[in-house]
Amino acid sequence: MDEKIISKQNLVNFCKDIVANGHNLLAPGKTEYNLIQDPSEIVLDTKSKPTKASYKTFVFPKAEPILYYKRGKNDVVMLDAKVDEKKTVIFGAKPCDTNSFNILNKIFNWDYKDDFYNERVKNFIVIGLMCEYSDRYCFCTSVGSSPVSEKGSDLFLVPIDENNYAVRIVTDKGKEFIGAYSKYFTEGAPEKSKAAEEKVKQPEVAFDSKQVHEWLGKNFEHPKWDGVGDLCLSCAQCAFVCPVCHCFDLVDEDYSYTEGRRMKNWDGCQFGHFTLHASGHNPRDIQGKRYRQRINHKFKYYVDKFDEILCTGCGRCSRGCAVSIDIKEIVANCTD
Amino acid sequence: MSDKNWEPKIVAFVCNWCTYTGADLAGTSRLKYPTNVKLIRVMCSGGIDPVFILKAFERGADGILVSGCHPNDCHYNAGNFHARRRWTFFDELLEYLGVEKGRLQFSWVSASEGKKFVDVVSKVVNDVKEMGPFKSYDELNSEFMTKFPDMPEIDKNMIIKEEEAV
Amino acid sequence: MEELKKLAKELLENKTVAAVIGYQQVDDKRTKPIIVTTPEDASKLVFNEYCLNNLAVYLTKARIKNLAKQNGTTLKLGIVAKPCDIHAIVALIQESQLKREDVYIIGMNCHGVVKDYGMDFSGETLATKCTPCDSHKPLYSDSNLGEVKDTPKVSDEVLEKIQAVEKMSHKERFEYFKKEFDKCIKCYACRAACPLCYCQRCITDKTVPRWVESSPHSRGNFSWNVVRAFHLSGRCIGCGECERACPMDIPLSLLNRRMTETAKQAFAYVSGRSLDTPTLVGSYDVKDSDELFM
Repeated sequence: MDEKIISKQNLVNFCKDIVANGHNLLAPGKTEYNLIQDPSEIVLDTKSKPTKASYKTFVFPKAEPILYYKRGKNDVVMLDAKVDEKKTVIFGAKPCDTNSFNILNKIFNWDYKDDFYNERVKNFIVIGLMCEYSDRYCFCTSVGSSPVSEKGSDLFLVPIDENNYAVRIVTDKGKEFIGAYSKYFTEGAPEKSKAAEEKVKQPEVAFDSKQVHEWLGKNFEHPKWDGVGDLCLSCAQCAFVCPVCHCFDLVDEDYSYTEGRRMKNWDGCQFGHFTLHASGHNPRDIQGKRYRQRINHKFKYYVDKFDEILCTGCGRCSRGCAVSIDIKEIVANCTD
Repeated sequence: MSDKNWEPKIVAFVCNWCTYTGADLAGTSRLKYPTNVKLIRVMCSGGIDPVFILKAFERGADGILVSGCHPNDCHYNAGNFHARRRWTFFDELLEYLGVEKGRLQFSWVSASEGKKFVDVVSKVVNDVKEMGPFKSYDELNSEFMTKFPDMPEIDKNMIIKEEEAV
Repeated sequence: MEELKKLAKELLENKTVAAVIGYQQVDDKRTKPIIVTTPEDASKLVFNEYCLNNLAVYLTKARIKNLAKQNGTTLKLGIVAKPCDIHAIVALIQESQLKREDVYIIGMNCHGVVKDYGMDFSGETLATKCTPCDSHKPLYSDSNLGEVKDTPKVSDEVLEKIQAVEKMSHKERFEYFKKEFDKCIKCYACRAACPLCYCQRCITDKTVPRWVESSPHSRGNFSWNVVRAFHLSGRCIGCGECERACPMDIPLSLLNRRMTETAKQAFAYVSGRSLDTPTLVGSYDVKDSDELFM
C-alpha cells in the first residue's frame, strides 16, 4: 500500500484544484455533507461529531426521477432519466461513512443492477479521514469497522503532525485520481501514520454480531420488541440518516394531464403504511413488529443474504432519535 | 411587466350558493370581466382546503381568489365563519413564507352582487398583472423538469387534449 | 425526585393508574421516556432539566391507550408532565382526543430544560422554547410536585429570528424558506414527535388524490411544511419537539411561533390553556375581523 504526505496548505490547494477541474467537492458540515465552493472553508477535524445525515443522498438521492413519460392517444412515450456524470469527491468522510458503499454495492447489484447508483459510485472518490470522535452512541468496532478503518475509502488521511497528513492510497481509483495532482504530495513515512493511528481510542466492542445473529434467528417472537415499539414514534429519522438503509418508494407524479415523471424516493420501514396492502391488511401493523424488522434486516437478513452487516456503527439513528432509542443498547441485549 | 403579452392565470374557488350564483348573474347581466379567471365551484367556502390553493400554485396559477357568502348568509349557517378563521392563518402563513399578499385574495360576494364579482375579479387580475408571473413558485416546479426539452418530438396528434383526457 | 417515585409507586399499587409515562435516567445529562407498569419500576422515574420529551405524544397512541384497559375496567394513565406538556394534554382534551378523567397528570414544577442532552444547565443552554415561557407551575394537575426555581433570563431567540425574517422582502423570504425546506428528507419526525399530530391517517399519506406530493423535492417539501405549519396554526402549544426531532435542523419553530403570535394578536387565544373554552379553529365568533375579505 502506497503512502504519501501532504501539507495542510497543499491540501487546500489540492481541493481548490478539484473544484477548478469542475468536480463536485463535498465536506462534512454540522447537519450534512455540503457542496463546497470555496475550499478554504473546509475544516478537517478528526474530533468533529459525525454529521446528522450521511452522504448516501449523493449516490442514492432522497428523490430522483427515473423516467419521464408523455401520454399519447394509444401509447405512452417514455424517456429514461440520465445521471449527471460529474465526478464527485468527498473529503474528510468518517470511516463509519466510507464503509457504506461496500455494503450498498451488494444490494444495488444483486438481482437487478441499479444503474443510477452504480453510475454515481463509479464517479465517486472517497477521501476518508481517521476519526477521534467517540460518544455513547458510536459502535463501529462492534460491526467490524474501526475509527482508522480504510474500508471503502479510495484515499485515507491520517494527521501525523500539526501541519501534515499522511495520505494512504487504498484503491487503484484513488491512485489514478491523485496522479494528476502529484505535485502536492511528497514521499510518505508509514511508521508515523501507524503511530498516529495507534493513539486513537477505539470505542468499546458492545456486542458480538455472530451471537446477535444467532439470537435473532431464535427470538422472532420476543416480548422485547413490543417494549421498544411502544416507545418508538414511527418516524423514519433513523432510516433516512442511516448511511446504508436503502428502501425506496416509486411514485408517479403528473404535472399535466399528459406528462409526468416517475420518482424514486426514500422510504422507511418504521412508517405504519410501509407494508400496508391494498386490501387493507398490514402484516407489520404495530410498531414492535416494525422495529423487529429493522433490527432483523440489519443484523440477520442482510447477513444471511450478503454476509455483511447492514450497519456501519455510526450511531446516527440513536443520536437523532427523538425518544432516545439506542440501537447499540438494543442489539447488545440481543443475547441470552 | 416585461412581457406585454403575458396574461396571468387566476383560479377562483367560489361557493355554490353565493359567489357562483353571483358570477352567473354577472354573465346574465352581460357584465364584462377578465377571462383570466377560472372558476372552480365548491359547495361552501368552508370546504376549501388550503391544499387546493397549494395545488393550484403548483399547477401554475399566478393568483388565487377565494370567495363565499357574506357572514351570516352561509347556506350551511357557519361554513364561512369557520373558513374566516382558517384563512386568517393561511394568509398570514403564506405571507410570512414570502408569497405576496395579492397572490391570494379573499372576498364575500352574494348571489345578487354580479357587479361586485366583476369588480373583485378585475382587482385580482390587475393586482397579479402588477406583480407579474409567480416566479418564486415556478422555481419550486422547475426541479427535475430540466430534462424535458430532451424529450423526443412526438406526434402532436397523438397527445390527448386536456378536454379529452377526463 | 423521591416524592415522584413514591407517588408513582402508590398510584400503581392502588390501581389508580395502569401505567405511568415518565422519564428514565440514561446518564448524568440524558434521559429517555419510559412506560412504567409495575410498582417496582417506579423507582426508575426521574425529573430534571434533561427531561426534554413531551410525553403527551404517547397519550393518543392506540397501544398505550390499551394499557389502561384492565380486566374489563379502564384505569387512568399516569403521565409525568412539565407545565408546557400539560398544555398539550389540555389541547388534546379540548380536541376530544382524551378525557380529563382518563389521565392522571403528575404536574412537575419546571424552570426550563436544556437545548440538547449533554449540556450543563444555564442561561446559554436553555432551550429556546423555555425563554418566552410563563408557565412554571402546572395549570392543571392531579398532583403537583417539584421545587420552584428561577428560570435564567435570556433573550427570546426565536422571536428575534422571526422578526429578522419579517424584515426581508417577499422574494428573499421565499428564497430563505425554500433553502431551509430543501433540506427536508420527509422522515416525518416532526409529525411523529408532535403531540397534536395525532391523525390516524395524515393528509400526506393519502394518495387518492395526492394533495401533498410524497417526494422530498423542493415542491413536495414546500407543500408539506406549509401544510404541517397550517394544521398546527392556533393549536401548537410550542413544545418545540418538531424542531428538536428534525434531523436536518429546519427552523420549524419559526413557523409555529409565528402562527402562535397570529392567534394571540388576531384572536387573543393561546392554545392549551383552558379546558373550558373550545379550540380556536374548531369554533368561530361572528365578531371575528372581516378585514381580510373584500
